[in-house]
Amino acid sequence: MAHFGMDPFSAGPLWHNGPAPCGIYNFPGRPTEAAGGFIERSKQPITTGTSVMAFKFDNGVEKGVAIAADTLGSYGSLARFRDCRRLFKVNNQIILGAGGDYADFQYVQSMIDQKNIDDECLDDGFSMKPKAIYTWLTNVMYNRRSKMDPFWNNFVVAGIQDGEPYLGSVDKLGTAYEDNIIGTGLGMQLGVPLIREAFEKKPLMSRSEAQQLLVHTMEVLFYRDARSFPKYQIGIVTADGVTISDPLYLDNQKWGFALYVSLSLKPEIMCF
Amino acid sequence: MSIMEYNGGCVLAMMGKDCVGIATDLRFGVQGMTVAYNYEKVFDVGPQLYIGLPGLATDTETVLQRLKLRVNLYELKEGRKLQPAVLTSMVANMLYERRFGPYFVEPVIAGWDSKKNKPYLSTMDLIGCITETDEFALAGTCSEQMYGMSEALWQPDLNADELFESISQAMMNAFDRDAVSGMGAIVHIIEKDKVTTRKIKTRMD
Amino acid sequence: MAVVETYAGYGPIQAQRFSPYADNGGSIVAIAGEDFAVIGSDTRLTVGYAINTREQNKLFRLSDKTVLGSCGCWCDVLTLTRVLNARMMMYNHEHQKVMGTQAVAQLLSTMLYYKRFFPYYVSNILAGLDENGKGAVYHYDPVGHYERNYYYAGGASSALLQPFLDNQVGLKNMENVTKEIISLEKAVAVVKDAFISAAEREIHTGDAIMINIIDKNGIREEKFALRKD
Repeated sequence: MAHFGMDPFSAGPLWHNGPAPCGIYNFPGRPTEAAGGFIERSKQPITTGTSVMAFKFDNGVEKGVAIAADTLGSYGSLARFRDCRRLFKVNNQIILGAGGDYADFQYVQSMIDQKNIDDECLDDGFSMKPKAIYTWLTNVMYNRRSKMDPFWNNFVVAGIQDGEPYLGSVDKLGTAYEDNIIGTGLGMQLGVPLIREAFEKKPLMSRSEAQQLLVHTMEVLFYRDARSFPKYQIGIVTADGVTISDPLYLDNQKWGFALYVSLSLKPEIMCF
Repeated sequence: MSIMEYNGGCVLAMMGKDCVGIATDLRFGVQGMTVAYNYEKVFDVGPQLYIGLPGLATDTETVLQRLKLRVNLYELKEGRKLQPAVLTSMVANMLYERRFGPYFVEPVIAGWDSKKNKPYLSTMDLIGCITETDEFALAGTCSEQMYGMSEALWQPDLNADELFESISQAMMNAFDRDAVSGMGAIVHIIEKDKVTTRKIKTRMD
Repeated sequence: MAVVETYAGYGPIQAQRFSPYADNGGSIVAIAGEDFAVIGSDTRLTVGYAINTREQNKLFRLSDKTVLGSCGCWCDVLTLTRVLNARMMMYNHEHQKVMGTQAVAQLLSTMLYYKRFFPYYVSNILAGLDENGKGAVYHYDPVGHYERNYYYAGGASSALLQPFLDNQVGLKNMENVTKEIISLEKAVAVVKDAFISAAEREIHTGDAIMINIIDKNGIREEKFALRKD
């Protein structure tokens, strides 16, 4: 099978015995480029955010998009910054959620701020729609990856496009897709199935039900994602506009499943 | 190139109604170079009992010889022929003895289980992880192609003639899309009291 | 390739090497008939073992006579198809006519070869009607080699699909059959059967297939469910 014996998260070889993809073919007999003569461009994320969760809801009366992200800025395994807010209000109909490198996110934020100013200067009353920001982000991300100098982010665009909920995702390569439920990072593995299951039981969800579901999802993510944090924000976009909550705290944590926590509550059975 | 693809070759087996078939291609090569086109990889090791050993040809032959030794010892000791399930366990055991320096063969075993009076089919990986199936089993360099064909052509309860047709078509069209398998094929159809062996001519490139 | 290497220096950070490519799976099958062409693709978009979405159409309508199926590295697919659409629009404005299927086929090859040393990691199959109204299928490698034929499979499951097409459409290894050009009904049925088989064994293929049927009346779309596991 195509993926056997390879790293399942990366592309296989294009062909054998040829130049590597994006590599320069060295003609035989010519001296290759001296070591040290290269430009250092590739990098790794430094301060990072973890998952972003988002989904559309619509019960006929209330419809919109709900999105959540915690506020931790991790420095490797160190939980370093505890108030890195990763939901960004782009305008009155768009929230941008970001995971990955926080500095890259802030840089993109400043680019979007400038775009908003440019839009404002035109004074025509128009502002960007979700699809516009999604397409723009896709191009920005693809251009940077093609320079081998990517923005190390996963972006989630949540918004209202012409009265209908809109949800799309763009990653550091410029891989872009739209869906009704989107999770990035560990949220794709742990969060999306929870939300999908909830929707199978109740396809028509109100705003408050959507919010509850998101809280539950963030709770589960906090239990199992080692780079997560119990402080998080929820953003909701409807036709009425954008709301992004102040940081909320997961205060109903149920640690009963954790052996040593539950044991410590009953000291008499500690000495086994 | 993986050592499993050094010589090329493939084996495909399918279960039918009161019959089971096993087929092999006939190519023997060294990487791209074809050396022979009469190299069977399916061997008769008992009454209505066949084992296919595609993979590295030197190991095909070593495993076969060592297996024959064990089969003979079994028959002398027990005073009876072996059942397909016994052969499967025997081969798996033999392969697992070389867990950290394996023989590079992926056996497919097809035969008639005279105790339960029904056909038997099993396969295993190169270190002896057994899968018994009543559908189809395959191994070799064109496994992806054979999976595509077999999923489409196999269905439950094929009779002996239909089974022959399904195996042959699946095998031929699969190895025609593989550079290191092909050069003709041999198909054995095993029934309760007989085995029909046919040679198939295919394109020779 | 997102290989996690041990960071040689001090500090908590693990160095990750950046790869500009990803394999997002997906498969395409196309069959040309006398006066029609059928092209189908699955709708699953994956990264490794994760499914991004189950509803990603991989067929791109380039004109009323031409459909491109494209899969592989999804970011390259998006870029390639966007540039291709732009190039076709420029052609349209310059020549006051829609690009024909053969012209699109050559353009696509040129575009792929233009990126010969930083290729689009994409498997393309182009289906449509040629200038005589006959069905046409073109198949590409990632750097622009292309070939016209009656049927092709591409993408993650190409090895599973292609021999089945050889057998059922190309009538390879068949005896006592009349070699005639495939009918529309048979072509659509073969596309469905091929994908059902592939979805059984290839984890990057599944969820559903989108089928586009191109004939003189235009393009018809059909959706067909596959297994979702």
